[in-house]
Amino acid sequence: MDIASVVGTIVAFALIGGSIIIGGGTFMAFWDAPSVMVVFGGAIAAALICFPLPNFLGVFSVSMKVFFWKVEPIKDVITQIVSLAEVARRDGLLALESKVAEVENPFIVLGVQMAVDGTRPEVMEDILRTELDAVATRHRDGKAVFDCMGRFAPAFGMIGTLMGLVIMLGDMSDPSKIGAGMAVALLTTMYGAIASNVVFLPFAEKLGFTNRQELLMMEIVIRGIMAIQSGENPRIIEQKLNTFIPPKQRASEEAA
Amino acid sequence: MILLTKLSGDTFVLNAELIKYVEALPDTFVTLTTGDRVVVTEPPEEVVRRTIEYHQHKQLMPSATPLRESSGAAWTT
Repeated sequence: MDIASVVGTIVAFALIGGSIIIGGGTFMAFWDAPSVMVVFGGAIAAALICFPLPNFLGVFSVSMKVFFWKVEPIKDVITQIVSLAEVARRDGLLALESKVAEVENPFIVLGVQMAVDGTRPEVMEDILRTELDAVATRHRDGKAVFDCMGRFAPAFGMIGTLMGLVIMLGDMSDPSKIGAGMAVALLTTMYGAIASNVVFLPFAEKLGFTNRQELLMMEIVIRGIMAIQSGENPRIIEQKLNTFIPPKQRASEEAA
Repeated sequence: MILLTKLSGDTFVLNAELIKYVEALPDTFVTLTTGDRVVVTEPPEEVVRRTIEYHQHKQLMPSATPLRESSGAAWTT
């Protein structure tokens, strides 16, 4: 559970609600069913046109990921790899087989398993990199749906507003209704802007960030496993992997 | 050419001319002049012994006559 995303989402809606109350408006004045239909229905319909059904239906599980997807801290991954390297250096590569049961990260398990099986280094790197590319592609597809809806929601807001204005201007018999009609018409643009900037685009950004974290983690694992397989010294491996993270976060920076 | 065993138990023939280092880390790592590294189950002394044997074998090999089956394979074990 990532608290920042949850707090951010709640605060965004609370600020909008709060400013409506302070500004002296009522919530009912900000509710208009046809506008909701045009904006959300439109964005969803546009996304349906852009993506095949499985990708679109995946959006709900992907949106859960925004809040619940956590990448293992890079520091812990490095610590795990270094401890595996120490075992390999002390008892040989085959001893890793018994150690691998304690490792939860499936990517590390895959790499170590291949190293133990005596897979050739170039084959191993190829397999691990292919896995990394596949993960990157999957994540990109999940993010793309949100990006797409974030682009279309404001446009449908605009469309809804135009429709409202056309309807209003078509019947000018009662001038006193013009102000209220304008307000309702403008609501649609507001819904589009809110949906895009509070939900769709921030979710897409968050997925992009977590994706980058995960890919960095996988890159570190690949380099670590390759180093273990070529019999490098655990200290050297640690030095090598620590270059990926800022000095303050490094695991064992013992002052010599 | 020397016959060695990978960690997986598969045997393979290594071109002994390419050996650069043989290290015990604690598995035996054979580093080649090509930059490749191979892990083998034989201890370093055994790799060295086979390499020397191969070189001796090479010197003794009469040229221009086909290898006789009985004189063993073209590598040392």
